[in-house]
Amino acid sequence: MKDFWLGLRAIVIKDIVVELRAKQVLPTMIVLGMLIVFILRMASESSSTSAGAPVMGAAALWIAFLFSGLLAQERSFAAEQQNGCIDGLLLAPLDPGTIYLAKLVANVVMLSIFELIVVPIGLISFDLHVGGRWPQLLAVLLLGNLGISSVGTLFSAAVQLTRTRGSLLSIVVLVILMPMLIPASFALLVLFGAMPEQVGGTGSLAFVGSFRAALGYLLAFDAVFVVACWLLFPVVIQE
Amino acid sequence: MRRLLFALAIGLLMVSTYLGLTTGQIAPVQRNILYAHVPNAVCALLCFVVLLIASIGYLGNGRQGWDLVAIASAEAGFVFATILNATGMIFSRAEWNIWWTPSPRLVSSAILWFLYAVYLILRVSLPGSRHRNARICAVFGIIAFLDVPLVFISARFLPDIHRPNFSFDSGWQTAALMLGMAGTVLLAGGLIWLRTSLLHSNLKLEEELFP
Repeated sequence: MKDFWLGLRAIVIKDIVVELRAKQVLPTMIVLGMLIVFILRMASESSSTSAGAPVMGAAALWIAFLFSGLLAQERSFAAEQQNGCIDGLLLAPLDPGTIYLAKLVANVVMLSIFELIVVPIGLISFDLHVGGRWPQLLAVLLLGNLGISSVGTLFSAAVQLTRTRGSLLSIVVLVILMPMLIPASFALLVLFGAMPEQVGGTGSLAFVGSFRAALGYLLAFDAVFVVACWLLFPVVIQE
Repeated sequence: MRRLLFALAIGLLMVSTYLGLTTGQIAPVQRNILYAHVPNAVCALLCFVVLLIASIGYLGNGRQGWDLVAIASAEAGFVFATILNATGMIFSRAEWNIWWTPSPRLVSSAILWFLYAVYLILRVSLPGSRHRNARICAVFGIIAFLDVPLVFISARFLPDIHRPNFSFDSGWQTAALMLGMAGTVLLAGGLIWLRTSLLHSNLKLEEELFP
């Protein structure tokens, strides 16, 4: 257990220090996220005062998280390809699952830093109000963040060698995250006041039911994805 | 043997079509698409189960046969999922005057189609060794299957504009549906079998030409 924590800490610190020194991907992520938010804000000019703004705002935030998260995840194993770093990492006396968890933590940290900057920008530019429900907003963002990072980290290791790395990673990750984004967007819509706490009816958002259920779904998706990816990572990484 | 299977499947489908067009007709004419829609939906899900089993089998013992079954079932499943969504859209347009709406069942059928599409793209775009690629695709198959229970649950239990079951007026209608179902399942099995043996011969040929 001690080895596990030591290994985890070492890889997480290594990844974050490398990123802080080289500043390769975090600035790109933040600018991409801001661009997505601003482009969608411009495109939804007429809906600034009507009820449309919260809907567009929630969509803009999720699109920004998904695509900027993909940048971070793609980077996390592509960087290891240079100078054969991946071999050194695999030769270390560590369980492959630990490598996965460490990379996952590093990606969650990167995406969290990104969210700290882009979410306020989104809230300001779409004029969104959460009405004092900051802890709930934080919970939704963190759960969504974990779900996006879990699948992305696994498949980043899988597609690292391909020529079309970025586009292949994005379709693989987006298609697997599609079901998770239903409760995720529902939760943000409730927080921004575009939807009541309880919904009935026949739409795909209505089937989530309530804000509490949305959090439950997110938690369930996160747990299933993290455990499955952690178990399958050794299969992906071996040559 | 395989020829017999296909003959049986096509025979069953022809009987089902005949019944559906004559004694087993459902009142507004567009609802007869049910005879094609439901069996294809069932087969699209069944193919994913086969894909899951083949993926787990491949990761378990690394035998090439499992991998070939996985490819074959994904290809067959993609066809069934395409027919499922196409017939669904035609029916939805005739019945409710919209092509598509984000209701749980329609969304989950679309997700199923996307999962197959991405699996097939992943199959052809990985550059590594054969075994490594097969392993990665098997991992994708297993993780993607985590989304499939959602499709099934939404098709049975959630409130939706899409009804989970029709109430049939006569035994002929049930018979037509059941025969269609049996025929399509047999067809799916035959397609997977045929494609697997084709892939197998292909592989053997490659090994002989480029040892």
